[in-house]
Amino acid sequence: MNKRYGNQVNTFSEILGLADIIARMKLVRVPDDALTWHRFSGSLLLVLLVLLFLSGAFMAFYYSPVPGTAYDSVDYAMFSLPFGDVIKGVHYYSWNFLLMVMGLHLARAFIVGAYKSPRQLVWVSGVPIMLLIPALIITGDLLPWDQNGFWTTQVRISIIASVPVVGDFIVRLIQGGPLTGIAALTRFYVLHILFLPALLIFLLVIHFHFLKQRGLSGSWKENHPNRLSISFFPQLVNRWLLLFLAVTLALGLISWYWPAPLGDPADPTDSTFVPQPEWWVLFLNQLVTLFRGSLTVIGSVIIPGGLVALLIALPFLDTSPDRHPARRKKVILITLIIGIILAGLSIMGYVKHFSETHS
Amino acid sequence: MRVRAVVNVIVGMAAILSILLLKADEAARAHTLIVTAKYVKAAPTGLDDPIWKKALAVQMLVKGREPAVGANGTVTTWALYTDNHLFFLFKWKDSTHSITKQSWKFDGQKWHHLEGNEDRIALLFEITRINKFATRGCAITCHSPADVPKDDWKFATKTDDEKGDLWHWKAARSAPYGYADDAWLTVAGNPTGSYRETGRRKDVGNGGDIKNQTKNGSRPLYMQDPTITPSAPGFLLMEEAVKIKDYSIFKDGHIIPYRLPLKPSGSRYDVGATSRYADGGWMVMFSRQLNTGHEDDVVFNPKKRYSFALAVFDDSGSEHSKATEPMTLIFSR
Repeated sequence: MNKRYGNQVNTFSEILGLADIIARMKLVRVPDDALTWHRFSGSLLLVLLVLLFLSGAFMAFYYSPVPGTAYDSVDYAMFSLPFGDVIKGVHYYSWNFLLMVMGLHLARAFIVGAYKSPRQLVWVSGVPIMLLIPALIITGDLLPWDQNGFWTTQVRISIIASVPVVGDFIVRLIQGGPLTGIAALTRFYVLHILFLPALLIFLLVIHFHFLKQRGLSGSWKENHPNRLSISFFPQLVNRWLLLFLAVTLALGLISWYWPAPLGDPADPTDSTFVPQPEWWVLFLNQLVTLFRGSLTVIGSVIIPGGLVALLIALPFLDTSPDRHPARRKKVILITLIIGIILAGLSIMGYVKHFSETHS
Repeated sequence: MRVRAVVNVIVGMAAILSILLLKADEAARAHTLIVTAKYVKAAPTGLDDPIWKKALAVQMLVKGREPAVGANGTVTTWALYTDNHLFFLFKWKDSTHSITKQSWKFDGQKWHHLEGNEDRIALLFEITRINKFATRGCAITCHSPADVPKDDWKFATKTDDEKGDLWHWKAARSAPYGYADDAWLTVAGNPTGSYRETGRRKDVGNGGDIKNQTKNGSRPLYMQDPTITPSAPGFLLMEEAVKIKDYSIFKDGHIIPYRLPLKPSGSRYDVGATSRYADGGWMVMFSRQLNTGHEDDVVFNPKKRYSFALAVFDDSGSEHSKATEPMTLIFSR
């Protein structure tokens, strides 16, 4: 017998036995600006991740992780199933958009000093998520088994192989042999749909845990003891659902009019194919190009690794309580210089790989 | 407000990145030469329809193959599509107007075949994926199987699962009926007729041609039916031909076509063709439904990209003349 309601269960939530949970969620208060037009990147990232999971799950129903059939299975899912191209497009545009929004999220958090005490671990726990997304993209790129995905993977594998001591081991581990064949495709697939998403969920839980514990960052001017708040449910959830619907519709329309690309089927014997790096990896590609031969490790490991280390260490390097950018000139300037260098490298890479090759 | 301004700047940067992304993607597609079919509401009415100006002209390099190595050229290609049809327009130089194929000539005593063949253009698409066709083009089907001597190579795919769609316009044999012979390609086998031992198969329906010769092959069997006005002057259509009863009516110098086009129908007649020879070159327009509903045809989905290859033949029989590298057809709104 239901102690609270006796034998009478009337509402839908009561029938499902969720009434208590919902009641508790209604008591959870979050800042009013948790999801507004000027603070949306975190919620948008969650929207995009959910879209990636949903669209990826749909595609997994039809995907065959075997070199001889992988391309055809993707082709079938895209062009023979109703709205298959839209779903593939949503997946494709979601991860591209995700990278951009992730950059926005990071930039915003940096500018408003959201990494400062007491939210250091919110920042730190976000960095592994940022590193995991490229891993998901890299493993996903090979799956359609098209020319660009295949040959881009070859380039990435050669870069990984250049890492001293562990490079060859990592390559053997992810590739399952000396060549990119069925073992590699299977491993990339399992990593892409199982291990990496599981790890991502785990990291997100940690990130949200610290976020809940330490709270959202407020204005950098001063503390607002009377900060307005809203209920997590239904107000914040409804806002998020609205954002979810809007983004789904927008990406769906984009995918409808500009379908995601599916290149020619991979031909591992076609050594004339020159893969073109994706926009988000142009600076890394250029770094590797700048440091050749025995210096490759500088571009492929030391500099990217150093940048990641800097990101993680930032809350512990910049320990001043000031959050206003005007009072953090030094750290802002250093970051700006790094940002300009990375943007410059990206532009150089773009010119090299896209403008020059087509002029 | 400053935060909002910063956010706006970052959003602007993200927008620039998006443009870069789309540009990069466009460039990434450009591995093979791309022919873009432009969407139009109304179908082109012919070779000179101004609507063709809406399509982007693409110069496709055709390289001479044995025995025409070095005889390179270009085929200018335009493509349009409507809600239901796809159209190609091809234009290429050809110094010889070859529209006969070994016609008979009477010298007053005997009949003998004249020199000369026909000009042709052929396109090959994939019905189902042909392994490496996208990167190797026709070479993967013409030089098959790779492990046998060159003289035994057949025009075929390597497995049953791989099927090609062949559109073959022939100046002497299909042009009179205004179509390109629609065939399909599979593994080499032993079908009948001129397709023997190659992987070419006729689409369902009628078409093609028959050899106009008596059983012993010494003279023509048919002539133009004198009661019918030729619907394609200069050609002898089988449906307008009658058996020759009296060979004494022929005088020295009389010429009778050797290959008689048969009236096309069915899936074999899916690809319409309009052609004209002028100013030392050919212009040929193809039209085909995006989806014919026939299993022996490629289905065109404007959201997809299609690998194809093209070959032109100058006064040529079974040997190749000039062929392109693999090409890509995409559709644009």
